[in-house]
Amino acid sequence: MNERNPGSPEQLGGIEPRARDEEVRIGVYVCHCGGNISDKVEVDEVAEAASKLAGVQSSRSYAFMCSDPGQALIVDDIAEHRLNRVVVASCSPSLHELTFRNAVVRGGVNPFLYEHVNVREQVSWVHASNAEATTKASILVAAAVARVREHEALDPIRLPATPRALVVGGGIAGLRAALDISGWGLDVTLLEKSERLGGRVAELGSLYPTGQNGAEVVGALVREVEASDKITVLKGTEMQSATGFVGNFEIEVAPAGNSTGSSKIEAGAVVMASGFSLYEPAKREFGYGRIPQVITLPDLLERLGDPGDRSDRLIVEGEEIRRVGFIHCVGSRQIEGVNKPKKGGSLNTHCSRVCCSTTLRAANELKEKFPDLSIYDFYRDIRTYGPGQEAIYEQASRNGVVFLRYEPEAPPKVAKAGAGDPTKLLVTVKDGLTWGEEVEVPLDLVVLSVGMEPSDITREVEALKLSRGQDGFLQEVHPKLRPVETAVAGIVLAGTCQSPRDITETCASASAAAIKVAGILTKGHVELEPYVARVDLDRCDGTGACVSECEYDGALALQEVEVGGQQAMRAVINEALCVGCGCCVAVCPTRAIDVNGWTLDQFEAMVDAICEAELSEVQA
Amino acid sequence: MSVLHEGYRTDVLVIGGGIAGLQAALDLADQGLRVTIIEKDSSIGGKMIGLSKVFPTLDCSSCITTPKMAAAAHHPGITIRTMSEVVSVERGGDGFDVRLLEHPRYVDEEDCIGCRLCEYACDSEVPDAFEGGLGSRRAIYVPFTNAIPQLAVLDPTACSVCGKCVTACPTDAVLLDQKEREVDIVAHSIVVATGFETTPIDAKAQYHGAEIANVISPLTMERLLAPHGPYGRVLRPADGKIPDSIAYVQCAGSRDASLGVPYCSRVCCMYAIKQAMLLAGAVPLADITIYYMDIRAFGKGYEEFFQSARAMGVEFIKGKVARIDEGEDRNVVVRFENIDGRGQVEERTHDLVVLSLGMVPAADLTGLLPIGLGSDRFVSVPDPLTRPAHTDVPGIFVTGTAAGPMDIVDSIANAGAAAMATANYLRGMSSPSCAQLVTASEGA
Repeated sequence: MNERNPGSPEQLGGIEPRARDEEVRIGVYVCHCGGNISDKVEVDEVAEAASKLAGVQSSRSYAFMCSDPGQALIVDDIAEHRLNRVVVASCSPSLHELTFRNAVVRGGVNPFLYEHVNVREQVSWVHASNAEATTKASILVAAAVARVREHEALDPIRLPATPRALVVGGGIAGLRAALDISGWGLDVTLLEKSERLGGRVAELGSLYPTGQNGAEVVGALVREVEASDKITVLKGTEMQSATGFVGNFEIEVAPAGNSTGSSKIEAGAVVMASGFSLYEPAKREFGYGRIPQVITLPDLLERLGDPGDRSDRLIVEGEEIRRVGFIHCVGSRQIEGVNKPKKGGSLNTHCSRVCCSTTLRAANELKEKFPDLSIYDFYRDIRTYGPGQEAIYEQASRNGVVFLRYEPEAPPKVAKAGAGDPTKLLVTVKDGLTWGEEVEVPLDLVVLSVGMEPSDITREVEALKLSRGQDGFLQEVHPKLRPVETAVAGIVLAGTCQSPRDITETCASASAAAIKVAGILTKGHVELEPYVARVDLDRCDGTGACVSECEYDGALALQEVEVGGQQAMRAVINEALCVGCGCCVAVCPTRAIDVNGWTLDQFEAMVDAICEAELSEVQA
Repeated sequence: MSVLHEGYRTDVLVIGGGIAGLQAALDLADQGLRVTIIEKDSSIGGKMIGLSKVFPTLDCSSCITTPKMAAAAHHPGITIRTMSEVVSVERGGDGFDVRLLEHPRYVDEEDCIGCRLCEYACDSEVPDAFEGGLGSRRAIYVPFTNAIPQLAVLDPTACSVCGKCVTACPTDAVLLDQKEREVDIVAHSIVVATGFETTPIDAKAQYHGAEIANVISPLTMERLLAPHGPYGRVLRPADGKIPDSIAYVQCAGSRDASLGVPYCSRVCCMYAIKQAMLLAGAVPLADITIYYMDIRAFGKGYEEFFQSARAMGVEFIKGKVARIDEGEDRNVVVRFENIDGRGQVEERTHDLVVLSLGMVPAADLTGLLPIGLGSDRFVSVPDPLTRPAHTDVPGIFVTGTAAGPMDIVDSIANAGAAAMATANYLRGMSSPSCAQLVTASEGA
């Protein structure tokens, strides 16, 4: 084990005086995670091994460390054993590092004197052998104890926050979020690429479940937004680039399609409400693009939503339509080896969530307007899940819509009918509902229920360093713990840029995003993790090697400072801009730079601990 | 956690301490608002704390719920009252005059230290509802490992009044003569988060859900799958046999007008698929069959989850189950129309059958709150498109499954929406702590 005296001057490396007079007293807690960890890792053995490490005063295991009794265990031990360092071995730090930091604070210990060990995702979930998993967990705990011994009390970096939110996208999600945030007294800038607010909802005609008109619903929100003196709307404008961090973003915007005439917006938080794209059927997919009588569902909705069209007959391409077929899951629920990937090789494996209800509602509307129409519905599973949606399905059945069920491996075939046939199209399908019978359906019109896919927001994604999921939609941190937040602090997600959803769900997520923004901006300041670089001015000799290595503009610069009563050029850190990447540490010839909480001494202590633990394992 | 005193005022009263109520309370309290959560059970955590793992990430449910429970318990802006119900709500000068009924815990909340000595001393055992009735608990008990508060509660229907717990308690916290009491409070706004119950297991007579021991509810299967559940592994309840063949009957309590539940319950397809995947790990040799009408895997990552279950070998059979009977050796016979198999009516025997029960509102709010309810008794939302958390009464909001079936992901997003709507309502009303907030945000 690491027996170095933590108080020795060598260990301190001459960097910043710190309270070293107090004895290091560590508590170690190993979580069972209700079996998730303890089924593979002998948690009591790990706790027992840790109890023998230098400085460890208390070491135990518990069923759920993150539960209230688990946290109380830590708080009580801090008081009883006068602990000043805590290590918890449990799940990934992304889940619960913050939980335990808060717990040690309640016990009166600085949150940065805490160390988190991941023995679930990195140990119990990935190792087959219990013995190996237990050994690895013990080694990782030993390394964490070595590191926590060297931890120093740190304070978060506190910076003023710009009390303004930037909302990217003027569809219903962006409008809802902008109104909610401005309702809280904060300024909002609403950025919209097109020349018009309202997005796609305006084009949808009659909406489920209320039957309200899309243009009217979104129009009410647009009027509210335009009347608000807290909201600045920038139409025909798009994002060019972005710098900064939570509380202090600076976003360059310019007229859409024209990067000249750019301007800058300062914002403390960003709401991504950039919406979705509609799947564009591939050439010849179900005859699309080749047969004029094959259209998409949005094409049909536009026609149905046209209040000027009062005709009692449905006319497409100059011909009266008597027989219509809908095909579901076009560009959704695609399967590898069955569907052709898009350029770039990706498939839309996801369900687009809204198409079933939208399709059946359109079928009902057609039937009500044109009672003599025959309607056929080619589907895989009918997903009318939401309030009032099952009733839409019921109504479609009552309206005489004929349902035919296809397997993804055998989708319906759409062909032009023969010259003498009474209809233009002939659809052939192996229908699961009639036990796999091959059915031929003569039709005048085929409507493809195209799905939702991620919109092209490459520039925004790159500018804001956002991450996308495998489905290409923007990715949240965790669907339940932090469902609207992205991995970039201060940037939240609203609506369909995150995944397909209907209007109700879009507005709910926009409001949920808005309250996160309010939480960030109403305090007037933000707190950042103090894991930034620091310079020992006595060791620095101003070579500038670190400055040329630094990739973050303004984070590190040579400046004239006073050292020992004399002016000298030294490396100086801007804590607001430094991300703690450590590149400067690697190139410093005099070992004058370290990253708070991740010092070279700490790495060495961890490596020593790992080597020693492995060695003792071999000897045992 | 602070104690409620009479004459207590709160910015927000959250009714229900399940995941939706907790999330709404946390989002509101983070805005500096004073929030009171009332919970009818002896612990907060709701249905979610009893689940094993959750779709589509297969995170353990406790790992998501317990930290939110703990965060609410430690939040200086949140007061939690368990064992409490709303008796009446009337609009008053400052919002709502609310009368609460606190049921007796028979344990002093201030004095109990959660040591469980009373539990160990108690001789009276009854089936443990938290474990789906499979395990047993004492008449006086701490509800479950992660319960908040970690306090004992006495079940008077199971207690023999022997007094052993009173003697065993080191802090004299057991109060056998504790009475229920009414507390009047003033709430500036209300968030209804009363949640759901599953449809009764005996609702469909042809399924004999209450009569056949090896036909169980999905919540019971959650406990069987939970690593700290009643048996610590998956055994069938009737005889402790490891099941070789397990079936799920979908829409066993939904999409069925004969049950008065014509709607889709939204979560059953996904929980059945999730349990099937977990069973594939827990009982690797078992065959798993899901009888379904439509697979509704519509959320983010859900379709992909469904496809991987198919790839793992879970058998999906399209067909509505007509009846379920007990066969030989306590096995379960399922009669169904096999639509994929030329529509034949077939019978198959399984060791264990799970009825995928649907969701109905947990609380009958008729006459209790001055808000509109739908014919299905869920809380009405008059403008669902753009104001999904507003009820028809200004100042009363709804979140989670109180408004209709939804899964955890949707409940949590919905809770954020309810919090935002409530916060903006209060800002318009300028309650005292809101007034401070207004100054804080405008001064910033």
